Amino acid sequence: MHGMISYFIRRLLLIPITFVCITFMVYGIMRLSPGGPIEQARTQMLMAQMQEGGGGAFSQIGELALPQDAIDQLKIYYKLHRSIPVGYMIWLGVWPDDDRGGIFSGIIQGDFGISYRYSDSVLSTIVSKFPISVTFGLIGYLATWIVCIPLGVQKALLHRTWFDMTTSLAVFLGYSIPGFVACLALMLMFGTSLVWDLFPLGGFRSENWNDMWAAGNIWWCIKDQAWHMFIPLVGYVMSGFATMTILMKNSLLDNLGADYVRTAFAKGLSERRVIFLHALRNSMIPICVGIGGAIGLLFAGSFLIEKTCNIPGMGLLGFNSLIERDYPVLMGILVFGVLIRLTGNILSDLILAFIDPRVRFK
Amino acid sequence: MTHILFKLLQLLVVLLLGFVLTTYVLPWFFRCFLRILGYPAEFSPVTQKRIRRFRAIRRGYWSFKLITVLFVTSLFLELIVSSKALMIRYEDRTAYPALCEWLNMAWPFGEVSSFNKKSDFGQIGESEVDYRQFAIYAAHPALMRKDLEKERTALTAEKEAYLAEHPTPGPDARRFEVRRYERAMKRFGKRGETLLALEKNLAVFEGGRAGCWMPVYPVGPGDLRYDLKSNPPNRPSLEEGVPLGTDMSGRDVVPLMLYGFRISLAFALVVAGLGYGFGILVGGVQGYYGGWVDIVTQRVVEIWGSIPFLFTIMIIASIVQPSFWILAVLMVVLTSWLGITYYVRAEFYREKAKDYVQAAIGSGVSDWRIITRHILPNALVPVVTFAPFGIVAYIGSLVSLDYLGFGLPPGTPSWGALLRQGLENVKFYPHLTIIPTVALASTLYTVVMIGEAVREAFDPKVFSRLR
Repeated sequence: MHGMISYFIRRLLLIPITFVCITFMVYGIMRLSPGGPIEQARTQMLMAQMQEGGGGAFSQIGELALPQDAIDQLKIYYKLHRSIPVGYMIWLGVWPDDDRGGIFSGIIQGDFGISYRYSDSVLSTIVSKFPISVTFGLIGYLATWIVCIPLGVQKALLHRTWFDMTTSLAVFLGYSIPGFVACLALMLMFGTSLVWDLFPLGGFRSENWNDMWAAGNIWWCIKDQAWHMFIPLVGYVMSGFATMTILMKNSLLDNLGADYVRTAFAKGLSERRVIFLHALRNSMIPICVGIGGAIGLLFAGSFLIEKTCNIPGMGLLGFNSLIERDYPVLMGILVFGVLIRLTGNILSDLILAFIDPRVRFK
Repeated sequence: MTHILFKLLQLLVVLLLGFVLTTYVLPWFFRCFLRILGYPAEFSPVTQKRIRRFRAIRRGYWSFKLITVLFVTSLFLELIVSSKALMIRYEDRTAYPALCEWLNMAWPFGEVSSFNKKSDFGQIGESEVDYRQFAIYAAHPALMRKDLEKERTALTAEKEAYLAEHPTPGPDARRFEVRRYERAMKRFGKRGETLLALEKNLAVFEGGRAGCWMPVYPVGPGDLRYDLKSNPPNRPSLEEGVPLGTDMSGRDVVPLMLYGFRISLAFALVVAGLGYGFGILVGGVQGYYGGWVDIVTQRVVEIWGSIPFLFTIMIIASIVQPSFWILAVLMVVLTSWLGITYYVRAEFYREKAKDYVQAAIGSGVSDWRIITRHILPNALVPVVTFAPFGIVAYIGSLVSLDYLGFGLPPGTPSWGALLRQGLENVKFYPHLTIIPTVALASTLYTVVMIGEAVREAFDPKVFSRLR
């Protein structure tokens, strides 16, 4: 037990190191890349000039459309006048920010900065996407469990039969198609009049959803939500089906061949009892390990699927901030993503250590 | 109808050649290569047994054959699907533009010009020869004669109509009338000269001194289909000669899909090859030396593995437009070498404890030699079983990046870019979604089938079960 505790402490200590390495690398790449907030402001100004002044501003494209002191102000505002390591440490919150009176204010203090694009706090922008992520993540997670565990058990019991073969083919088909391509194909088939015009072409909710919710029309709201969520949800869960089902099947098959199952049979227990009480419980171990990853539900979202189905979730936020070079938001998403992944891994190990007494980490 | 049958026959011949090349010629080269590297030409009995087991799994074995034959054939796409002629002959001038294109692809260190001037080949102008036009006229000189006669009558009629409307200006005509008249006459004169030159060349075509051999599908991936009546995107139509339609800019979908297949698979193979090579090296060193080397590199691998790679590639790709090789190297550096290190490391730990390795160490064999010659051949099972699934993942990544617009440079034939067009036109042009989806799904499914069979053949699990 002692070794285990020191193992987890070591793992926890590794989190900050990993975190700093990754965020510093990405911060450096972003700072070195052209097209930051100043270029954005310049383009916006240019657009405004072109709209009002016509061709006159056009001759100045090569020249600066922004006065020098405005650039300096922007630089200070976005901390671009700092060198990359200092800027990074200010962002992290371990270096005093002289422009704001020498206070420490970074992500350690919970200050993620201001979005270039929306002029809004990064933290609230990201947190506002949590409901969408949780809705998708939770339902997708449940759907995977509800489908895959019975299917895997059935496949193990009917190993090398017709049922096993056909479901394997189906599950692997799901594995081989990327989720966003499946969404696209489903949208084509069931979102247009090609086969059956059943589901909407993208979107998270109908436009009048909030009004209906306020009016107390809950049944309509749930129906509308499900109607919009079906296609993206299929894209989310489809590729996970194969790994989960095959994991369940192989793990149960392993256990069915084990000695303790033989003993249980020899004692004269019924087949049902042996399989579902003895073997199944042990074969759930590798599956339960994945629960640690459930913390990622908060952050579920793929920019491929969200872009395809036009869902304003975490993925689309990241994609848009990448296109618009909204670096504070990108860094914020990165921070959350990395932290959640790292803690998820440790959580998985912890769960494994709790449910399987044979496991020893050192 | 016979035309289409003939095309299918040609396609069959091409595939047959590809089959022969893949099953007989290339394995021979591969064996030679191995022998040069110093590996035994014969597989060990264990490996032979595994290969036999793999062949016994029909589904996977035939998928493997299908993919390899298609990929090897697709390496010669410049000779099969291209708007450039395989061979073009005009009087005593002969050129092989498609072959030059293929050489440029196959040997990237030199450049052979595949450019042929129109004026050298009986057409008018200094730009590239219109090979399809040339091929039609070479095969049917009567058609050329008819076209020329039609043009001649049209020219005469137009000229007469013009003269009837604007009579020859007299000496007291206004200046702009004179200028207009001169301009028109010059125009007619030029058309007449072109016609005259072509009529002179007609003799060459009719005398059988011009010939042209076009590829099976005479449209390349970058060519716009100007010969269609409606505006792009065009729906698939066999009558018009676009069996899979065109995309939004008017490029034919057939070459796009085929060249896209080659690029996707080549990309995945390059990424898997480089990444697994590097990953095996790192994993081998970790497992062989153990101790501090292992601990430090393992931490590096863990940290590196926590980087969201698609995100990072997108950030980098939004700064510099990546080429094929830059993108491949990025994928290798950011992801593909990581996963395999865990397995190779474990295998090396296991193998190092065995007697034959200790014996080799004891007899003073160098570390490098032990790693590459003694242990590595015994530690390759996870690499082989992982490769197909890796390839599925890398094809998927390339398609995703192209789909988002952060992949290969615009204009490169790619499935992802076509899927993006499909998303934009999902209501009105379903073929832009259906065709790449079907191609992608069937390719990946075939590779997954290979992976399943390989896993079962190389790493069999015998399940015994009481009833």
